[in-house]
Amino acid sequence: MIEISRLRKRYRGRTAVDDVSFTARPGRVTGLLGPNGAGKSTILRILLGLDAATSGTASIAGRRYRDLEFPLRTVGAVLDGTGAAPDRRAVDHLRWIARSHRIPRARVQAVLELVGLADVARQRVGRYSLGMGRRLGIAAALLGEPEIVVLDEPVNGLDPAGIRWVRELLRGHAAAGGTVLISSHFMAEMAGTADDLVVVTGGRVVRQGPVADVTAGHPSLEAAFLALTGAGGAA
Amino acid sequence: MSALAAATRAELSKIRTWRRLWLVTGLVLGLQLLVGAQAMGLYAEAVAGITPDGRIEIFAGVREPAYPAMTEALVASSLQMSIFLPVLTAVLAGREVRGRQLGLCLLAVPRRGRLLTAKILAAAAYLLATALLIAAISSVFTHLAVRDWDPGLLVSAGALRGQAEFLAFAVLLGVTTYAIAVAVRRTLVAILAALALITVTMTQVLAGRPGLDALFPLSAGRNLLLNPAATELTAGPWHALLVLVGWALVTSLIAGVSLARRDAR
Repeated sequence: MIEISRLRKRYRGRTAVDDVSFTARPGRVTGLLGPNGAGKSTILRILLGLDAATSGTASIAGRRYRDLEFPLRTVGAVLDGTGAAPDRRAVDHLRWIARSHRIPRARVQAVLELVGLADVARQRVGRYSLGMGRRLGIAAALLGEPEIVVLDEPVNGLDPAGIRWVRELLRGHAAAGGTVLISSHFMAEMAGTADDLVVVTGGRVVRQGPVADVTAGHPSLEAAFLALTGAGGAA
Repeated sequence: MSALAAATRAELSKIRTWRRLWLVTGLVLGLQLLVGAQAMGLYAEAVAGITPDGRIEIFAGVREPAYPAMTEALVASSLQMSIFLPVLTAVLAGREVRGRQLGLCLLAVPRRGRLLTAKILAAAAYLLATALLIAAISSVFTHLAVRDWDPGLLVSAGALRGQAEFLAFAVLLGVTTYAIAVAVRRTLVAILAALALITVTMTQVLAGRPGLDALFPLSAGRNLLLNPAATELTAGPWHALLVLVGWALVTSLIAGVSLARRDAR
């Protein structure tokens, strides 16, 4: 379970996240939905220990991410801007991550096959397409066979087949009892993947709950989102 | 301890699989081969002219006892190449602490202290391996120059101590530069900082203040490695070793504070 409580983050005199609280539960896909710059990535970065919160707490299974001894065995994460070095081979990228967590080498091969990159694992990451890079990120996230998966904009740049693959992967993970937290600004994708939604704008949570509750009274998730975030005027 | 060992092995794995780093390391070693091969002729000529009372003329007009002079020549040929090591380590560290890579490192090893320790241990191992190769090249060429005069020079106590001191200097200077790069998170700034520290010694701007000069890393390297009878030094070897350890510790501490206090962006 992921618990965010009264989280606040100020950057250079600006409030990026303001009093955000929500819970992502096992067996469900929780979607963090908001326009660009809403604070979604910052929330995830604080959750994963990359940024420090100004106040509030973010915990995973009751502990801070940085307090987990081998965190990738509990949480698999892909954040924007934390990709592999382009001049390293994909297999070497996964191997150093596996070594950091005492994960057997065989698991590297298993995740490469799972994400469909086994045949190109010895290519340098810089030669990968955007979609292949996303798959590699997900492979790294799944290395430790984590119970919890956190993905920042996982379908950005993917083709329709790739989007469907990510959706099925996440739905399968939740169906097996895992906790999934994803951020996105793609309405259709979120509507098809998430069970629960946390709608964020301007660093604040404006609505949260099961998808049906969030969209109640609106013809679609997109309409609900535009109404909740006030982004309709820009369209 | 096991988590630190795993993190260090992961960092070593990254170093091992970074092809560009090994290319640059190969260039430095190639340069050492070139310079060593050129110097070997000069040393062989000087060794051939050793007088019956055991004096050698390496520099024109300067006759000095042959054994300490050749021991110092051995160490000096390694020392000249070690000036490139800070650049190598700054490049290594700079790549690791850029936004994307630092974020990934922290996802794998979120405890800053553990991550920094693992990175420094891995960088020190890389530096040690590179410095050993530099010392080996110096040894081969020196052996070729002195084998007809004193084939046991390389394994004499003085030579072995000199090589050990060189390894300590190379690793400590490299760790200092690595820590500076982590603290500032900029390769270029770290290289400039390392060059500035080296320049202070090379230009002898503090020649009139030996106490201050002795506190700079390259001066400490000279004080540690060179023969006080043949070279004007600004402090003794133990002082020099303390200065080098102090630089490595203080810069690592600053890097740790920087890593802990700043967001990984």
